[in-house]
This record gives sequence, C-alpha cells and structure tokens, in this order.
Amino acid sequence: MSVEERDPLTGQLTTGHEWDGIKELRTPIPNWWLITFIVTWVLAVGYLVLYPSFATTKSYAPGILGWSSRNELSEATRQARQQQAIWRDQMLATPIEKIEGDEELRRFAIAGGQAAFNENCAACHGIGAVGQIGQFPSLIDDDWLWGGKIADIHTTIRHGIRSSSDEARVSEMPAFGEILNTQEIAATADYVLSFSDRSRDATRATMPGAALYANNCASCHGVGGEGNRDFGAPRLNDAIWLYGGSRDAVIRQITQPRMGQMPAWESRLDEATIRMLAVYVHTLGGGEK
Amino acid sequence: MATTTLIDTISTRKTPRLSIPQTVRGRYRTIKTIVALALLTFYFAAPWVRWDRGAHLPDQAILFDLPGRRLFIFGLEFWPQDLPLAVGALILGAFGLFGATTLAGRVWCGFTCPQTVWTDLFFTVERFCERVLGKGTLASNIAKPIAQIAIAVLTAFGFAAFFNDALHFPTALVTGTAPIGAYIAIGVLTLTTWVFAAYAKERVCLHMCPWPRFQAALLDKESLVVTYQQWRGEPRGKKRVPLREDLLGLTALAREASMFEGNRGDCIDCQRCVNVCPTGIDIRDGLQMGCIGCGLCVDACDDVMAKIGRPAGLIRFDVEGSELHGSFQAPKVRMLRPKVLLYGALCTIALASIVIGTLRMQSVLLDVDPQRGQPFVQLSDGSVRNDFSVRLAHRLPELDRVALHIDGLPGATLRFADSPAASETVEVAVPGNRRISDRLFVTAAPGTAPSGRTNVSIIVTDASSGAKLSEAETYFWGPAR
Repeated sequence: MSVEERDPLTGQLTTGHEWDGIKELRTPIPNWWLITFIVTWVLAVGYLVLYPSFATTKSYAPGILGWSSRNELSEATRQARQQQAIWRDQMLATPIEKIEGDEELRRFAIAGGQAAFNENCAACHGIGAVGQIGQFPSLIDDDWLWGGKIADIHTTIRHGIRSSSDEARVSEMPAFGEILNTQEIAATADYVLSFSDRSRDATRATMPGAALYANNCASCHGVGGEGNRDFGAPRLNDAIWLYGGSRDAVIRQITQPRMGQMPAWESRLDEATIRMLAVYVHTLGGGEK
Repeated sequence: MATTTLIDTISTRKTPRLSIPQTVRGRYRTIKTIVALALLTFYFAAPWVRWDRGAHLPDQAILFDLPGRRLFIFGLEFWPQDLPLAVGALILGAFGLFGATTLAGRVWCGFTCPQTVWTDLFFTVERFCERVLGKGTLASNIAKPIAQIAIAVLTAFGFAAFFNDALHFPTALVTGTAPIGAYIAIGVLTLTTWVFAAYAKERVCLHMCPWPRFQAALLDKESLVVTYQQWRGEPRGKKRVPLREDLLGLTALAREASMFEGNRGDCIDCQRCVNVCPTGIDIRDGLQMGCIGCGLCVDACDDVMAKIGRPAGLIRFDVEGSELHGSFQAPKVRMLRPKVLLYGALCTIALASIVIGTLRMQSVLLDVDPQRGQPFVQLSDGSVRNDFSVRLAHRLPELDRVALHIDGLPGATLRFADSPAASETVEVAVPGNRRISDRLFVTAAPGTAPSGRTNVSIIVTDASSGAKLSEAETYFWGPAR
C-alpha cells in the first residue's frame, strides 16, 4: 500500500485494492463537496449555540439569542395591535351613531366586527347573523326584541340579555300554564295568531281569546300585539316568530315560555371591539336609523 | 457557399476583443442611428406625455397603474380582465418578429433590440470620452463609468416613470416618499442596464439570448441576410496582389469562377468588417449565430471598396437562394412565399382580434352574488328579502351616477346598506371611487315572493341617460309554498 500505483489507461491513482485482477480507481470526494460538508457542520454548531436546541432535564437550552416562536407571535400581535391603535382610538372617540358616517372607520369596523362576530357570536346567531329559527334570533331581519338602533344593539352586546350583568336587559314572561287552563290558552293562541291574519280584522274583537289577551298579555305585548321593546316583548302582529308561528308552537310558548339568554360581552371583549360588532350587526340589513 | 453555417453553437470569437468596435459611416449606420434615436426618444419622453382624463384619473398618456391594477394608453384603459388583448399583442409581436426575420433576417437584433440600442449608446459614450479626454487616460477611465452609470440610472428612472406619475415621481424619489418598489426597481434596472450594456455587451447576444438559436428555424435560403460574397472576395490578398481577371468584367455571373494562382479576389483582408462588428464576428466565415444583421460591416466594406476602386457590395444584404446571388446585381426578395403569407395572415388575425377585442371591451363590470347563510330573510310585514354582494367597477370617464334595478321580480325594491330608503331603482354615485363593493338588499313585497328559486337579473343603467350598461344574472329565493 505504500507504493502509489497509477492505472495505465486513465492515469488515475488506484486505491490498491484488487479483486480478481480488477483494481479500484481512487476518486476522492470533490473539494467543493467536502468544504460544503464542513460548512454545514460549522453552521449546525452555530445554530446549536444561537437557537433553542436540546432538552435539559428540567427545561431546554434556550440559545443565546433567546428566540422562541411564541415570542415571535406575541411580537407580531403587538405590532398589529399598534397599527390598529389609531383606528381603535378613533372608534372610541367617535360617538357610536357617527361611526357609520365615516367611510374609513365604517370599513374598519365592519371588517373587525365580522371577525369578532364569527369568533364570538356566530356559534348561536349563525354565520352571517341569520339566526336559528326556534333558537336564536336572526340579526339581519327588521324585527328587534330590544331595539335595532345602533345604540340599542351596542347596549345589548355590552350587557347581554338575562345575563349576570347588573345592567342586563331583563324581563320574564309568566308561565301561563299555571294561570290559565288549556282551553283558555288555546283561545289566546288563536287570538294572537289572528293579528297577522287580515281576514280576521272584522271578527277579531268577538273572538273568545280577546278578553283573555287584554287581561293577561296586552300590558307587555300591546293591545294590537305590537310588542314593547322596553320589556323585550316581541311583536305578535308580524310574520316573524322566533319560537315558531304554528298554533302548537304558540300554545307551547304561552304555556311554558322560552326566553333567550345572551352573555354580557363587556367582561370579555374590549369596548372598541363591541362597537365594531354593533356596527357590523347594524349594517347587515335590519339596522334602524 | 461551403462555409455558410446557420447554427454555430460555440463562441464565434477566436480571441477576446479588448477594445470597442471601430466607428463606421454609411447607409446602415445612419438607419441604425435614426432608429435608435427614435426608440430612445420614445422611451424617455413617453411618460411625460399628458392626456386629459378628467378630475379623478391620472393624466399620464401611458401609465401602468399597478396599485389600481389598470393600464392607461391614451384614451384606453385596460384591466386585468383584458389580459386576452395582451396575449393578442404578444402573438402579434411574435409572428411579426418571425415574419420580419423570414424576410430580412435578424433586423430586430440589429436595429431595435434594447440590448443593441443601449450597447450602441454606451459605445458612443466610450468613443466620445476617448476622443475628448484621450484614449486610456485617467480622466477618460473615470469619465466613462460615470457617464454610463448616469445613463443606466436615467434608463431605470425612465422605466419606473411608466409606472408612476412622471411629473411628481422625481420629487417623490428625492424626498423618500416614493413606494419602496420604485427604489428597488430603479436599483435593479440600473445594475442590469450597466452590466448588460457596459460589461456584457455582445455576450448577451452570444450566450444569453435565446433568439439567435431560433434563427436557424426561421431563416431560409430566401431570407435577406448579411453575406460575404465569397465568389468575388476569394482568395483574399494584399492590395498589391493582382486582381482575378474574371472579376474585371463586372457583369459576369462568376458563380463558377475558378481560383487563379497568384491572383486575389476583391477582399484585401483589411479586417475592417471584423473591427466594426458589434459582436466581433468575422462575416466572411459565413452566416452565423453571432451575426445580429446590423449591416455595419456592409458600410465598412463599401467604404473600403470605394477606396480601392472596386464596386460596392462585397459584403451586402443578399438572398442566398436567389438567381442573382453570385452576381453584382442587387438581390430581390420574393414576398409571396407561403411562409411569409402565413405569418402575414396570422399577424392580421391577431391584429383584428386586438382591434375587435378593444372595441368590444366591457366598460362596466358587474358581479352579483347571493349572500351566503340563509337564502332569504323573512321580514315583519310578510315581505321577503334576499341579500346580495354587489361589486361594480367602470371605466367610463363621464359616468358619475348609476341606477340599479331588478328584472324578473315585479314590484321588488332595492337598497344598499346606506341607502335612505328602498325603491324600485336605487341610484349610487360612482365618480372618483369607481368601484363599489356593497351589500344590496332586494325585497319582494308581501305575497309577491316566488316559491323557491327564480331567476332574476340585476341591471345597471346610466342614471342620467338611462342607457343600459351591464346586466348580471342571479336568482331570488322565496319561502316554499
């Protein structure tokens, strides 16, 4: 092995290995490859020192740069917040009725409101705020239990409905199943349904449920079923029935009323987000001026 | 003919050229100068041409408005939707180039290619510096790169000016208020211009450009190309060597001329044709990939022929397959060849498509999509509402109010989110901000809503003239009955 041997045909050195007269040429790794290989090792050691690398018994080696993906995210979030701050401040400084009048502020509110809505509200009210019949009210129609002006919507979101907040919108409909008998409830239901039936206009006053309704329901729902937003008492003379508009559904509602609940978002969302939500909901088609 | 090579894949230069090509005067030099000046003038002046488009639009005649995603060319405005027109323009350019190459060789390369024009400009600057400050002096060695980099910066600026308002762009650049992309573009283009025109020069043509590789496929025996008239040039010799006798009779068709011992042809091997060549090739080796067809060697040789009292045209634009090849007579290009007619027809079709496409461009674009979620909204009074998202964009300078109504749903009312009230026709102002993206609420009066789905159209008209501008088909849902 000490003597270097050249292959006569190619002029290349051989390794000195020989099998059945076949010799192996010595073809060393190209230098560029070797250098690249060494450089990758140097870089690897560099990474090991600079960045979080291996686990220790209690924690991990953080690296001298102190980098972590969590820090990177919170930094990016902080920067995004900072960029939005000018709009959020403006959102708080502008009276809520004026926000929609400012084209740029309105666009920001709708974009932010939509994101917040999808995250917080859509679970009940549905994507696009279409609601669920028999469960949660639609927010894009023109019927509002507690008021459809932007300030009303804002108050509702802030304090909630029948929530734990002191300023929550609260009302309670008695369970008439304990007050009236079955026939009386059925008669009342017929009377209620007649509000939205034009053909009964002439005969409505003579219906058996008329007196029952006047005594038991009219104080909240209004003499003509026009509802009362101070109590969140729904209109009964329109085409929208949150818990169903069939006779059975109305009887069920009178007997054992269901009343929705909504949390007070004040404690969960900041004021600017609540305002953006109010603007978003207000522009979906049902908002009142 | 033996040395004619259409494809030459290795470098055509035997030894690297150290200095710039020599200057030359003549017919093709003049054409080249005029074409280059015209192109440079267009390039640098075009962004400054104004075109009045009213108060809301930029008044630059040619403007690529990238943020607005539109292209203004005088009275026309193009949008990304008009991309087929750009494809048409590219097809027209490609077949125009093929056709021109088939007819007259690489005239694009020789006269109009930016690489040719800018390299020529940089050569001129170098020669000027050497003439004024002296060849190889320190002053000229400093002045040259300064002048060339200044031209490169101006070139980059000229390019960026097509994308920015040229009048305010310089100020914005200096004060640092121009978009960051402008600085990057100017930086990159300054570098590429300088590297390509001052350093790479003919190397771009020889090693980088794909076009020379196509020329073999495009040229044929009937193309007009720069040729060395070998039949009268050979054998080369010093001027004092006596001329071949058969060349003395100028009208003779000497294609079959034999070589005469001790006599020379018309070529006196002065190397002028090589020394003036921008790509540094020797045209006497025959047609080759390095030849950009600029004709400067023709000028150089004609000049020499005049000086030694021989007829011009030893190097000339010629048709190798022509009957007249191998004579002193000027070549004739046969225009009515299938290939030329085909390219002509394709160009005509592409041009006609562009013209028709431009004339039929939609000036008002309307997109109407039903909002997702629930198909319809039940309203208190029994009416039924459908919500749509409407996107409207227009490029009519005079249009400032449009009216929308619905077809297929009698009595339905429309309103946008911020309209004061719903009505059968809703108007919206569209000057300045010429794009609308909004919710459109369509309400069918109680009892008139269709059962299930029905097809409707949203129609946009000009509010002042009532002319129909656009129509979008969509559908309206009602409760099943």
